[in-house]
Amino acid sequence: MSAAHTYLDHAASTPVRPEVLEAMLPYLGGTFGNPSSEHWHGRAARGGLEQARREVAQALGVTPAEVYFTSGGTEADNLAILGRAEAARATGAVPIVAVAATEHKAVLAAAHTVAARGGVERLLPVDPQGQLEAEALHEALEARPAVVSAMWVNNETGVIHPLARLAEACAARGITFHSDLVQGFGKLPLNFGALPIGLATISGHKLGAPKGIGALLVRRGVALSPLVVGGSQQRGVRPGTENIAGAVGLGRAAALAVAEQAAELARLTVLRARLLGGLRAAVPDLLLTGGDIETAPHIVSVMVPGAETGPLLMLLDQAGVSASGGSACATGAVEPSHVLSAMGIPAAQAKGVLRLSLGRETTGEDIARVIALLPQVVERARGATGALSHG
Amino acid sequence: MAERVLVAMSGGVDSSVAAAELVAQGHEVIGATMKLFCYGDSVPDRPCCSLDSINDARDVCRMLGVPHYVLNLEDRFSRDVIRNFVDEYSRGRTPIPCVRCNSFTKFRDLLAHADALGCSAIATGHYALAREGRLYRGSDPAKDQSYFLWGIDRAVVARMLTPVGTLTKAQTREHARRLGLVTADKPESVEICFVPDDDYVRVLADHLPADAPALTPGPLVTVAGEPLGMHEGFARYTIGQRKGLPGGGGAARYVVAIRPERREVVVGGLEDLQGHALRLQELNWLAEPLALGSRCLVQIRYRAAAVPATVVAAGAAEYALALATPVRAITPGQSGVLYAADGQVLGGGVIA
Repeated sequence: MSAAHTYLDHAASTPVRPEVLEAMLPYLGGTFGNPSSEHWHGRAARGGLEQARREVAQALGVTPAEVYFTSGGTEADNLAILGRAEAARATGAVPIVAVAATEHKAVLAAAHTVAARGGVERLLPVDPQGQLEAEALHEALEARPAVVSAMWVNNETGVIHPLARLAEACAARGITFHSDLVQGFGKLPLNFGALPIGLATISGHKLGAPKGIGALLVRRGVALSPLVVGGSQQRGVRPGTENIAGAVGLGRAAALAVAEQAAELARLTVLRARLLGGLRAAVPDLLLTGGDIETAPHIVSVMVPGAETGPLLMLLDQAGVSASGGSACATGAVEPSHVLSAMGIPAAQAKGVLRLSLGRETTGEDIARVIALLPQVVERARGATGALSHG
Repeated sequence: MAERVLVAMSGGVDSSVAAAELVAQGHEVIGATMKLFCYGDSVPDRPCCSLDSINDARDVCRMLGVPHYVLNLEDRFSRDVIRNFVDEYSRGRTPIPCVRCNSFTKFRDLLAHADALGCSAIATGHYALAREGRLYRGSDPAKDQSYFLWGIDRAVVARMLTPVGTLTKAQTREHARRLGLVTADKPESVEICFVPDDDYVRVLADHLPADAPALTPGPLVTVAGEPLGMHEGFARYTIGQRKGLPGGGGAARYVVAIRPERREVVVGGLEDLQGHALRLQELNWLAEPLALGSRCLVQIRYRAAAVPATVVAAGAAEYALALATPVRAITPGQSGVLYAADGQVLGGGVIA
């Protein structure tokens, strides 16, 4: 089945790379000690963990002490927002957090939680291209929030935020800036260490490492309260015995992603252009989410007029293509997208959104296959939707 | 003959067994769960339509080795079913949202998706029998659900498979256990799926303005027009109800009529509840429409026996039936379902 299936949902998850798996295996086998133990077994485990921390640090141009391993992107995002809010509360202030309206649910829900706990959440509006409105950002900064959060590459649309500009705007006022780098890291060039970004999230399974590992980069001087309490691992900011195998996998995947970034960007840019051109030729009235602005090289987000996402995905799956409508909901049901609605896209258009996301193993044949399939899939999906709107 | 079949799966035992039976018969099965509404955080765990149910359906499909999709019908369900539910209560009637959902939402959507997927048939876990384009009562009289299906399109019946229609509930569970389905011992869902804790008044209150007549006080009167006091909103009452009426010390009292234009709830004795005639609107036929003077059996409530009836008026918008024996509590908004003696569903309508 899988041989006949084309995977175009890399923004949802990616396969573990063989090099990553190989690096992890010792830590799932003989090297099992607790890295906090002082004995030989503990030291062996600690060696792997610290090597992983160095690899992640190097990939991002920070120091190892600034890398905090988490259970994934969601926890890292939560730790950034809630950890900053709690740190502000500890100083006696009412915590204020300002987050882009198009953020991942891991950031948005954390901001709602801040508000539910007596703090203030500000949603920063975006324009139809998904870009933060400068005036609203400046206004939000005046309120001196504990953290401002804006993701680098949007997971649903591929829209890119100008990271340097946003970080500098916050830094100029002494405000901590957090960015969820999950979709952009390894895809676009980034001189992270040189930017005034206080907090940043990466996730393993979008990079060819396994699920269940991520990291929050916490630059020196950024105060953060922990979400979980326990031992003193990772300075007590994220206690608990570390997931060494996962960390090692993330370290390897991060190092590989950075080493291959320029070549992958060039390759994916060509594939993406071919995919987009083919889709537009196959479905002439196709709409591009966010219009013709520059997006990440691995995400194509389009809207099919007259069709709905549910039938489109179902028919693509039946035809052997795994794709997505945007962010995956636990039920599998396609829910209206908060990202598209924040961009001011009418609900009727947003109903037909389709996200195809490319990855390392995506080939020109995969692209050709989906282009060839699309006209019939769209016709049938429109049939399913049309039958109902007249019913 | 093996067909490609789209099976509606609620996550309950009946539709799980339906899917398993079709797989066993060699059909190419695709499972689909319709997400009709979202409770949000208010009701985390319910027997039907919750995330758990969707996961149960998904697990069953994975076990059977067939694909499973979730169809999001929240918009349509809200428009076609919940809105109508609220409107009907506002008009002093007692709706059956499941009938409305089957008629307007579920089956039409299922068929549209079946067409898109190239499926020649659809299937459900209903206790009813679809045979050669005709619909019949299910074999288990205690479980027969044909009453809820009178409003579906005739074209749907022609393409419908009902694998559990010949089984009793006990047999269905037995099948499920033998197959090791995770849903084998799930409790029956008896409430209306979008009404938490059976508290439909709360749903009405959520959808209606605070001063809606249906939920504001009005007079309680006798059949003769004598005042008995006030009630807290006529939408809280249904024909035949005894609960919530002032005790008279004498014979039992029942709600016998609701007059929304005057906000009146009319109270009477058992004799005032008996009806000999029935008017049906919003008719749908699953057989040739009955001619004036023809006879059939009519069932006016899910758990009522069907009684012999004669068609005394046959219009396009309304049918009238004379009943051979009087029935209790003919309730506007409920369904009147017309059957042949062999259990075939001929059609039905909403009681006027």
